[in-house]
Amino acid sequence: MSHANDRLFDHQQAREHKLKKSRMKTDKRMPLSDAIAEFVEDGDSLIESGFAYVRGPMAAYWEIGRQKKKDLVGIFTPGGMNSAWHEFGGMEGCHVAYVGVEMRGLISPFRRGVEAGTLKIYAEWSHGGLALGLRAAEQGVNYLACKSMLGTDIMKTNPYIKEAQDPWTGEPVCLVPAVYPDLAIIHVHHADMYGNGRIWGPAVNDTAIAAAARKVIVTCERIVDTADIRANPYQVVVPHYVVDAVCEVPLGAWPGEMPGMYYFDRRLQERIVRVDWKTAEGTKAWYEEYILGTKDQFEMLSLAAEEEGMHPLQYVKELENLACDSAFCGLGSWGVGGGRDWKYEEVAKRAI
Amino acid sequence: MNDVQASEIQYTPRELLACVASRLIEDGESVFVGTGLPLVGALMAQKMQAPNMMAIYECGAVDPEPRVLPWSVACSWTYHKAPIILSMSSVFGHSRAGYSDVGFLGGAQIDMYGNINATVIGDYDHPKVRLTGSGGANDIASLCQKVIFMGLHLPERFPERVDYITTPGFLDGPGARERAGLLGGGPWRVISHLGVMGFDEKTCRMKVISYHPGVTPELVQQFTGFELIVPGDVAETPKPTVEELRVLREEVDPNQLFVF
Repeated sequence: MSHANDRLFDHQQAREHKLKKSRMKTDKRMPLSDAIAEFVEDGDSLIESGFAYVRGPMAAYWEIGRQKKKDLVGIFTPGGMNSAWHEFGGMEGCHVAYVGVEMRGLISPFRRGVEAGTLKIYAEWSHGGLALGLRAAEQGVNYLACKSMLGTDIMKTNPYIKEAQDPWTGEPVCLVPAVYPDLAIIHVHHADMYGNGRIWGPAVNDTAIAAAARKVIVTCERIVDTADIRANPYQVVVPHYVVDAVCEVPLGAWPGEMPGMYYFDRRLQERIVRVDWKTAEGTKAWYEEYILGTKDQFEMLSLAAEEEGMHPLQYVKELENLACDSAFCGLGSWGVGGGRDWKYEEVAKRAI
Repeated sequence: MNDVQASEIQYTPRELLACVASRLIEDGESVFVGTGLPLVGALMAQKMQAPNMMAIYECGAVDPEPRVLPWSVACSWTYHKAPIILSMSSVFGHSRAGYSDVGFLGGAQIDMYGNINATVIGDYDHPKVRLTGSGGANDIASLCQKVIFMGLHLPERFPERVDYITTPGFLDGPGARERAGLLGGGPWRVISHLGVMGFDEKTCRMKVISYHPGVTPELVQQFTGFELIVPGDVAETPKPTVEELRVLREEVDPNQLFVF
């Protein structure tokens, strides 16, 4: 079996894989645990939707942790909490454009792993550089030439990019090869049963990673009718034919933000990053309690709510209210059907 | 800008940093905003002298009207009322095309040529501290017309040469950016909690422009790991005004996310 890094830049092999995928519009809905069991293979390179803590497929990360997948290669553009996986035994290396929590600081497990040499970094990238690698795969070109990363140490610590002369002007350019991750997990607001996925807010790199990755798991806040998607294709970032599995996971981006639906769980995120994960022992204890000790996102959320002395529903409502009060992005006027279509009863039923 | 000086009002070093940085943005400029302190400086400029300032964020958000400080460069506030939301590669593409006047960045270390390190402290293969990596900072400094850096001022944060060049300044001196093929004019201003620095046109080395109230040029030098150019005309940075502090505390960061 080839290493994830070899497959990452192998456009022929990626094409062969995609030629074999079925184009049939079949019902691809399945429980998240089934999708992770079937489509996340040990040794896969993995990229995710959104911007780490915004519309990241968090429920899917936790499930990967629960199933103890091994030897994954992270593509962090940016990376957040998923960079802790190597301390859970699930990640052997990574490509890094960014790993951290912005002004909230560094992610201790990632830092410990790199400083101790137990987590390999295969390449340094810039956000714009890696975005172009994914874009090259989406656009069907072998590489793209850009003006980023030139002259810096990134050129020396990334064996996959090359400096070259522009054949027309002779000036230096940085060539970024097309990047084909083994697996993309994309969390969206709405998806139909075939996998067409619709979002609000920024797509970031989603249209590119959907096209680039060999395997695609879509997790969504809510399953909607195909007719609903076809009536408004403008916010669709994932087309059905690239998708292998569709999982309905309300609160799937928690404790991150889902634009227009719920805001960052800042209290929990800060506690995890600054306290729970501060030491390797703490990280292990957290993993055992929060990941291995729960069976799904709702149990995990219930645990977080319980620690705050709150009913899970009250906990969810608070995050939703923050989205309305401090980050409302006009969902009501954008969505088919209008307004937020969150069903409190549904969460309550599944969360308790 | 309000002329009233807040001589009687207490302010923190970070508040001073935010006020001074925000003054550098002119109305009508497009500003590519990095995470951390730049989020504060940019929003403050928009609420003060630069209401037509156009903020750009690497998640793809362009020209939003955030009510309060975004928690992240992809937080919903970064596209609140934005007229368009692009993708990550497109916003950098627009910068390459020439639509980004100012790049606004933070980082762990900056050196005498304005190179920024956000990757490792110490040797790359055996790092003492592993930092975040570039994020969009490298692209912003490679593509925007001029770059403002904000950070805390300590000798180890202002070394002669950074341990790792994540984000290009003038690299190893005059002409190096052009030789490397980079666009834009490179570093323009460095705002620390001790002073405002710029870069000498001939040598590309960091020079003092002003020192903050209560600080002397000697003190700025003492906290810098290399020899600063101190021109004869250095002056004291104007203190934050009453209005600046009011806007910062009440409108930009009422929840005290960053300025504490």
